[in-house]
Amino acid sequence: MNHDIVLEVLGACDKRREERRAFMKNAGLAVAGATVLAACSNNDGFGSVVTPTPSPTPSPTPAPTSSDQDVLNFALNLEYLEAQFYSFAANGTSIPISLLSGTGTPGAPSGGRQVTFTDPAVGRYAREIAGDEQAHVAFLRSVLGSFAVAQPALDLSADVNGAFSTAARAAGLIGAGQAFDPYANDQNFLLAAFIFEDVGVTAYKGASPLITNKTYLEAAAGILAAEAYHAGLIRTTLYRKGLAMPSLIDATEAISNARDSLDGSSDLDQGVRNIGNASNIVPTDSNGIAYSRSAGQVQNIAYLNKAAVDRGGFFPTGVNGAIKLSAASA
Amino acid sequence: MNHDTEVLEVFEARAQRRAERRDFLKAFAMTAVAGGGLAMATRIPRADAQATLTDGDVLNFALNLEYLEAQFYSYAATGVGLTPDLLTGTGRPGVALGGRQVAFSDPAVAAYANEIAADEKAHVAFLRNAIGATAVAQPQIDVSVSPTSAFSNAARAAGLIGAGASFDPYASDENFLLGAFIFEDVGVTAYKGASPLITNKVFLEAAAGILAVEAYHAALVRTTLDVKGVAMPALIDATEAISNARDSLDGSTDLDQGIRAIGNASNIAPLDANGLAFSRSAGQVLNIVYLNKAAVTAGGFFPNGVNGTIVTSAAN
Repeated sequence: MNHDIVLEVLGACDKRREERRAFMKNAGLAVAGATVLAACSNNDGFGSVVTPTPSPTPSPTPAPTSSDQDVLNFALNLEYLEAQFYSFAANGTSIPISLLSGTGTPGAPSGGRQVTFTDPAVGRYAREIAGDEQAHVAFLRSVLGSFAVAQPALDLSADVNGAFSTAARAAGLIGAGQAFDPYANDQNFLLAAFIFEDVGVTAYKGASPLITNKTYLEAAAGILAAEAYHAGLIRTTLYRKGLAMPSLIDATEAISNARDSLDGSSDLDQGVRNIGNASNIVPTDSNGIAYSRSAGQVQNIAYLNKAAVDRGGFFPTGVNGAIKLSAASA
Repeated sequence: MNHDTEVLEVFEARAQRRAERRDFLKAFAMTAVAGGGLAMATRIPRADAQATLTDGDVLNFALNLEYLEAQFYSYAATGVGLTPDLLTGTGRPGVALGGRQVAFSDPAVAAYANEIAADEKAHVAFLRNAIGATAVAQPQIDVSVSPTSAFSNAARAAGLIGAGASFDPYASDENFLLGAFIFEDVGVTAYKGASPLITNKVFLEAAAGILAVEAYHAALVRTTLDVKGVAMPALIDATEAISNARDSLDGSTDLDQGIRAIGNASNIAPLDANGLAFSRSAGQVLNIVYLNKAAVTAGGFFPNGVNGTIVTSAAN
C-alpha cells in the first residue's frame, strides 16, 4: 500500500524533527510549560516510530475505505469548529443556519461570544479569517452535496470545564479551577486561534495523499494554503506582540507542547520562540517542510485526549461522519 | 483529456467568483494601477503537454524556483549565497548575480529574513535529494539592483519606480519586504497548481508540506507589510500595484491580491470566493519570473531560462 511508504517517510522525518526540536529545547524553554515538557520527555519514546493511522475501527457505521467523501467530511467537522469560533469572536453570531444541516447527529455551538478588540488590526484579522472559514464550510458542503455531515455539538465556551480551559490548563497557562476565556481580550483570542491554526495545516497535509480525485486534491491544497496563511498571520502577530509581552511567546511553546503530549511520541509542533537569530513563524522539520498529522492524531487534539475515543474536548458528542476515532497515542 | 477538461471547468467557475471578489476590491480601493494593463486573452493557459510530465519534471521545475528564492533570501539575510554543493546538476549551470546583505533596522524583520533563508535553503536541499541524479543545476539568476535588473523591471511594471530608476530590494526593510512580496504568493500558487500533476504520494505529501511553508512565509511577509502599512500607506499601495503587475503577466484570470483591507476585514490571505488559494500553471509561473506575458524561454529573474523540461512561459 502506498500509505506504508508514507509511513516510512514520516518515520524518517520524525528523526530530523526530533533533532531540530532537541536544539530548540536546549536553546530556550524555561518557565511556562515546564511540567508539560517533563511529561513529554517521559512519553517520547525516541526511535519508536508511531504514526497512528485513521484505520477502520469498531464502529456502528462500518467504513471500509477512507473514501474522498469521508476525508472531506472529516475536514468539514474541523471547519465547522473553526468557522464558528471565528464567527462568534468576530461578529458575535453563528454562521448562517443554512450551512449547518446534513447527515449524522446535528448539534449546536455553545459559549461563543464577540471579542471587544483593542487593536483594530486584530479585529480586521478576526473578520478576515471568519469569512474564509465560513467559505470553507460552504465550499466543502457544496462539494459533498447530500453526503455532507451536519454540524456536531461544539464547545466554544469559556467555562472552567470547557474545552478551551481544559486545553489551556493542559498547557499550564491556568491553574486548577481557573477558566481560560478566549473572548476576553486580543491576546487570549490570538492564543485560542493558535490552538487551532497549525493543527488545520497538519490535518490537510496529512490527508493530501488520501484524496484520490485530482479536483478535490487541488481544492484541498487550496484550503491547506489558506490555513497556512491564517496560521502565519496568527503566529506573526503573536511574535510581534510577544516582543513587548514575552509571556505570549512562552504560551505558544506551552500550547505546542500540550498538543505534542496528546498526539503521540513524534514531535509535530513548535511555538514561535526564536531559534538562534531566526524567528520561528513557520513550524517545519529540518527539510523545511510542514508536519503531517493523521486524522486520528488531529482528533487527539480536538478531543483533548491521547487515547482512542470518539468524543470530547471541542466535540462533546464527537464528530459526524465515518472518521470518528482519535488515535491510541498514549 | 477528461481530467484536464474537468479541472478547466472548475477553474473557469472559480475564475468567475474570483473576478467578483476582485471587482469588489478594485471598486473599493484601486488608484495607482500598473502600466501594462490586463492581457485580453480569453483562454486559460493550462499547460502544454502535461500528460508527458514526470514527477521529476515537476519537482525540477520547483527546484528552479527554490534556487531563486533561496539565493535572494540568503544574500539578503547573510550576504552570501548558497554553498556550491547545493548548485550542481543537469542542464546549464549559472550563478546568482547582484545579491547583497540588507542592513535591517527592525530586528524582527532580520529574524524573519534569517528564518525564511534557512527554510528556502532546506527546500533546495530536500528537492535535490528527492530528485536525485537528475536534479537540475542552478541556472543563471538575476537578483541585482541595476536599472535594467529583474527587480527594477518588475518594480517599474508595477509603477513603483520610473524610467531609468532602480529598485534595490536590499536598501531597506521596506524594500526587502516588497522584494519578498514579489515572490511569495507566486510560490504558493505554483505548488498548488502542480499538486494534481504529482503522481507519487510521498512526493505529493512533501510538496503539500512545501506549499504550506510558502504560505506561512507569504503570510509572514504580508502581515508585516500590513503592520508597517498603518504608518506608511504607500506600502499597501505597492502590494496592490505588484499584484496587478503579476496579473498583467499571467493571463486574463485574476490570480492575485494585494493586502488592502476589504471592507472591515484585512486581506492577508489572497483567496477566491471559496476561501481557496489560487493556482498557477507552470507556464503562468514562468510568465512572472521571466517578466513576460508571451511564450518565451528566458528573461527576468532567469536571464538564460530555467533548467529542466518545463521551460516555456504561457502565451498570454
